[in-house]
Amino acid sequence: MIVVRDLVKHYRSGDGSVVRAVDGVSFAVEPGEMVGLLGANGAGKTTTLRVLATLLTPTAGTASVAGCDASADPVAVRRRLGYVSATTGVPDRLSPREIFGSFGRLHGLDGAALADRVDRLVAALGLGSCADRPAGRLSSGQRQRVSVGRALVHDPPALVLDEPTSALDVIGARDLLDILTGLRDAGHAILVSTHRLHEIERRCDRFVVIHGGRVVAAGTRDELVGPGGDLEQAFFAAVSGAEAR
Amino acid sequence: MTDPIPPAAAPPAPPGRFTAALAIARRDLVEFVRDRRTLFVTLLLPMVTYPIVALASALGLRTVVADIESQAATATLAVAVTGAEALPFAERLRAVAASPPRGGPAAADWPAGFEIEPLPDPVANRALASGAADVAVDAPAGTLAALDGDGTATVTARLSTSRDAEPGAARLWEALVANVAADTLARRARGAGLPRAFLEPLRVTFPDGPAAAPVAPSIGPTLVGSVLVLLAVLTLTGAFYPAIDAIAGEKERGTIETLLMAPCSTLQIVLGKFLAVFAITLATLAANVLSIAATGAAAVRMLPAGMSMEIAHPSAGSLATLVAFVGLAAIAAATCLAVTTASKSGKEAQNTLTPVILLVSALAGTALLPGLRGKAWLAAVPFAGQIVVSRLALVGPEGPGPGLPVPVLVALSLASAGALTALLLQGTALLLADEDILFRGPDAAPHGLARPARRKVPSVAQGAIPVVAGLALVWYLQGLAPGDLRLSIPLHQGIAVILPLVAMLAWQRVDTRTTLGLSSPARGPRGAVTLVGAGLIGAGLFFLSAALLLALGGGDGSPAVRDLTRRLLDLLGNTPWWLSAVLMVLLPAVAEETLYRGWVLAAFAGVSPSRGRAVAAVAAQAAVFALAHLLPERMPATFALGLATGALRVLTGSILPSIVLHAVHNAVPLVLVAMAGGPGGEQLAEIATGGATRLPPAVVAAAALAVAVGAGLVGFAARRGDRGRSAVR
Repeated sequence: MIVVRDLVKHYRSGDGSVVRAVDGVSFAVEPGEMVGLLGANGAGKTTTLRVLATLLTPTAGTASVAGCDASADPVAVRRRLGYVSATTGVPDRLSPREIFGSFGRLHGLDGAALADRVDRLVAALGLGSCADRPAGRLSSGQRQRVSVGRALVHDPPALVLDEPTSALDVIGARDLLDILTGLRDAGHAILVSTHRLHEIERRCDRFVVIHGGRVVAAGTRDELVGPGGDLEQAFFAAVSGAEAR
Repeated sequence: MTDPIPPAAAPPAPPGRFTAALAIARRDLVEFVRDRRTLFVTLLLPMVTYPIVALASALGLRTVVADIESQAATATLAVAVTGAEALPFAERLRAVAASPPRGGPAAADWPAGFEIEPLPDPVANRALASGAADVAVDAPAGTLAALDGDGTATVTARLSTSRDAEPGAARLWEALVANVAADTLARRARGAGLPRAFLEPLRVTFPDGPAAAPVAPSIGPTLVGSVLVLLAVLTLTGAFYPAIDAIAGEKERGTIETLLMAPCSTLQIVLGKFLAVFAITLATLAANVLSIAATGAAAVRMLPAGMSMEIAHPSAGSLATLVAFVGLAAIAAATCLAVTTASKSGKEAQNTLTPVILLVSALAGTALLPGLRGKAWLAAVPFAGQIVVSRLALVGPEGPGPGLPVPVLVALSLASAGALTALLLQGTALLLADEDILFRGPDAAPHGLARPARRKVPSVAQGAIPVVAGLALVWYLQGLAPGDLRLSIPLHQGIAVILPLVAMLAWQRVDTRTTLGLSSPARGPRGAVTLVGAGLIGAGLFFLSAALLLALGGGDGSPAVRDLTRRLLDLLGNTPWWLSAVLMVLLPAVAEETLYRGWVLAAFAGVSPSRGRAVAAVAAQAAVFALAHLLPERMPATFALGLATGALRVLTGSILPSIVLHAVHNAVPLVLVAMAGGPGGEQLAEIATGGATRLPPAVVAAAALAVAVGAGLVGFAARRGDRGRSAVR
């Protein structure tokens, strides 16, 4: 469903030098699978996700969703992908119901179909008590759920989330990951980037560790973690090994 | 806890062409309407501004009128009388002053009192200087005799320039003089035994009161201009907060990425944003117009008696104004969006937009400049054009009009607004989609003065910088420029050409050989053939340009061109030939070619340009070269020179043929003046200095032949030579 192949993204920094943010990354996420994209700050996670979300043009390589290439046909990718960015906010002066409605209309929904979809999302995300309140007055957890709902309004088969739990407390993070797990079980392909490894260690089916713009380890938890160890130790081992090389 | 998220009942159909734009516009409009700042600017500001302005203006007018009336009622004219007959003339003035006129123009300006004193000259002068005397009158010997006889008495009057003198003393003095004349005439008539009726051949009475009330002076035409400028500025202000909120606000709230994920093009997103900002701007315009109408109706009652606000075409003019201002609202919305797109926060956008609003307000104000009101082309200028058209529609032309009917001017203004809005929206979409600006913001760009990374040739923007900087330097230093061309030519070349070029070369490291074309045009004899061809083109082009200039201008240049011609002739006539050659030939050819056909053309064309881009780059640098010569009459000729030299540079890859062409072009007048001593010299001098009214057909034909032969030689050398030298792919 989500396929990234030999992806390269370079950009020019302020002093004119070339920064290799992503330098040949490849991985895939199948339907009904949740993959964790792990990496330290500056590893290239956000750049990779932004290329997938058609917000950045790759320097080389490809990123595709449901067979649609992000560079060649960005509009087709946007119709098949839900994206929650690390800095995602919600319009303060609109209510969750209005936010879902406006993004639904952007995707061609209207009338009864749109109203039905909005009602279902409000109920599924537990936003019933605040569905008509301006988003500026919602809690961080509620706002993040609104972001997820906004990304799901057109029922995309693939979902990409960048640090979705970074602004949430323990309970908010657990609730959000419950929602993602439910979506995965419903057949969505989910790619979630984070550096809070303990939160997703038991949730994701596979992990891709990137460092310095390159994939330094990939596999299931059991493949990455040694006997008696945990994901955090495996992550440090992969990163240290890459730096040593 | 939450329920599982169900799948959608059916996958959404692909959105229609404008579905996304309309959805974005709808969403943004709801947000804008819930923003108190927008509501304040859109509704409250117009409702408060116009009444305050009207009240202040009406009170000001009343105060001014009352001041004038009270001045007339309390004014006292102090007259110092000097000269041989100071005493008797003062007595005569006092006698006349004691009996004010019963009617006529003098009665209206009659002061409340007079102080008339005969004084010695020094005392009168001091009184005049200090303002103690408003007028000093010198009555020479014979003044009274002339008055009492049948001659003309001549006296000299000087008005005080002191701030303490009576305001309007000249008017009061003229009223006194008129009464003296009337009194003298009456005396003479009596002396001659003529009846009093002799001096009043016709008297009109109105048994039912005055035949018609005097026409009230209307301040409408004067007010219209100011109100239109205010309307333009407030309409523009209506776009201020929505535009900031539309894109910079989205970035600040972190919602821009989700918006850019909409299944549509960036242009459609921008179009949606524009529609929302445009709707608010239109609402602001409507609120302003309503407030103006209501305030106008109320303000008429506050005007001083006898004053009105009538205008020539209130209904048709208002309709034309509304239509024209819809165009202004569109440009205002598009401008504010474009300016704020690169900002990453509302505060940053506000800081960027505020000076732009001030500049645009100044542009709107230019519509009121007397010299520009009648220009038809001004209708196409954004912000000023709408005011010009509306003013014309409301009050009619003052003096010679623009020559086009109002509907045509309104259509011209709307077309210009539509085209500019479309361009601005395209630019906004490009800015919005720019990855660097979107994710790293303007601050992440290299520091403005830091040396950027080395490039093979400059960027397009870097190509424009030295030209703009040179023009700006010339503009600011022109007041210091010497009139002598021997000094001003090197100064101009140094400031406008060499200094910006050297600064750019020091700042942006480039491959100077590629950028400036520092290579020979071709190997061996082909290089020489190319240079000969370039020289022939240069010589022929001078005469063809002169023929074109004469055909277009009929020999009548502007004062600036005539002044330049006179100074050039003076330079040629009074300077050693070698110095003239350096100043007029060598310096401009080398400096200007290195800048325009070197740096600027390389920047515009880029590395290995396609044929289309090369042609566009040559045309663009020729246009910039022509503009840099400032005088409109010379622009066609300089544009042609820029095209020829630019084409040579692109074809040969070398700057040398362009320098030769330019040098020969500039050397022709020098040679003509040198030959002017011989047969036909007078005509040659006229051609050289632009004083001729037409060129002989044989000269034009020879010039065309020279250009054709020159082009043929260049083409021949290029075909036979190394094609790889051409800059074109």
